[in-house]
Amino acid sequence: MLYMSRKNPQPRSYRIVGPQARVDERETPHPRVQRGELGERLRLWRLQRAGNDPFRRIFGGGGAEADPKNCLQSIMAKVPEGKVNPNPLPVDDPVKMAKDIKEVARFLGATVVGITYLDQAYVYSHRARGIESMGQKAGETIDLPHRYAICMGFASDYKKFLSNNSPISDADYGLGNNHTIPTTFMLAAYIREMGYPARAHHYGRGEVNHMPLAVNAGLGELGRHGMLIHEEYGSRLHLATVTTDLPLAVDKPVDIGVEEVCKYCMKCARTCPSHSISFGGKEVHNGVERYRINVDTCYKYRPASRGEWHNCVICVSTCCYNKPNTWWHTLATKSIKWTPIPLRAFVIVPLLWLDDLIWGKRPWQHMKWLSYDNKPKPMVCTIPGCQAKHKNLIHKRLHDPVPETRAAG
Amino acid sequence: MPYVIVEPCIGIKDASCIDVCPMDCIHGNESDQMLYIDPEECIDCDACVPVCPVDAIFPADKVPEKWQRYVQINADYFKDKK
Repeated sequence: MLYMSRKNPQPRSYRIVGPQARVDERETPHPRVQRGELGERLRLWRLQRAGNDPFRRIFGGGGAEADPKNCLQSIMAKVPEGKVNPNPLPVDDPVKMAKDIKEVARFLGATVVGITYLDQAYVYSHRARGIESMGQKAGETIDLPHRYAICMGFASDYKKFLSNNSPISDADYGLGNNHTIPTTFMLAAYIREMGYPARAHHYGRGEVNHMPLAVNAGLGELGRHGMLIHEEYGSRLHLATVTTDLPLAVDKPVDIGVEEVCKYCMKCARTCPSHSISFGGKEVHNGVERYRINVDTCYKYRPASRGEWHNCVICVSTCCYNKPNTWWHTLATKSIKWTPIPLRAFVIVPLLWLDDLIWGKRPWQHMKWLSYDNKPKPMVCTIPGCQAKHKNLIHKRLHDPVPETRAAG
Repeated sequence: MPYVIVEPCIGIKDASCIDVCPMDCIHGNESDQMLYIDPEECIDCDACVPVCPVDAIFPADKVPEKWQRYVQINADYFKDKK
């Protein structure tokens, strides 16, 4: 069993086992869908998915139907980067500077912040889209020689996410994405005005993979569902990064027990409606050993709501770390974290039993907000004459017990 | 690559697949010989395969040679129904 060395701690939730090739941004899900690689139906859905929901239209889900001038993401994707002040402020103490810059990030709106070295393995190799005002073009190589990455997390609302698979949780998800934009823009601008190069990487515009950087910066650990798990906020953090050359002291990866919890919990895998989260062990992909999710099925599930919402966020809200900020949640997470690794199972198994008992195996709450109501509506099959008893579009099913073939795989 | 229901379903129509399909894209009525998967709606999640008692469901690119025609049969079922 691997213990974290105090001098050189490595993340426990993923492990580098071979050379990593930089990922081409054009091979990430959105560009693939735009090119029609996941089917013509999904390509058209991405273009025409706005519907009449104003939240969907302003939060960047508008597609061709919504006015991009009403969407912060579309506006900020075109804004050029400001100049670096030619008179840099001297930095004598990177430790104090790191402390100050974290305070600035929180002041500007980040919920949590950590700093790590910018590992070039997590910089995209080529652009999927270029920013015209900065002379960038789609398909060109990305050169981002910054030394540090300031990683930030923006927490979503716990209660709204409990309405998962609804327009309410979808609106809050969209808001969380948009919260990343002003803070990263202002922080990068602040650092440039201090006299050091800095670039904002946020929702709709970025050159880095936020997840491994955030793990390295100690914001949390990588979960079975492929997302960051933070000790206090669970998986409901939207990630964003500012890369810079401002001299900063870096943070270390943390061990909060996610490695052991994800082995036993499986709550995300049991509740994922599209069966995209594995019940099995970790796999090696691109030189990294970690849990892999099926990104294609996860994406293809989006049109399932018939245009009422687009991000189901079931895995986020069912994650056992996703709890309100209360003393008993702190007690539970700390008791896992502070228990020696070989003994953690004795703490985790009873806690998971309590979690299922109190919060349910599929946490969900009936909620009314504005004119939205997430009460499941009876679905009418649109195929004439069909007599099948459809029931899954209300999404209350658990994949439990695990089908044998799946468990074996 | 969508999934396809093939010959062993004929006369069986167990319908376990309908229960597990997250997209509700498996259809049929009493007068149909078998059930059919809507290729436009199927998201390839594989949920229906392990629950089929007669092993009648395959990804379209892995349908055994003798049942290849069922790829078209599944698609044709929805042709005039949308």
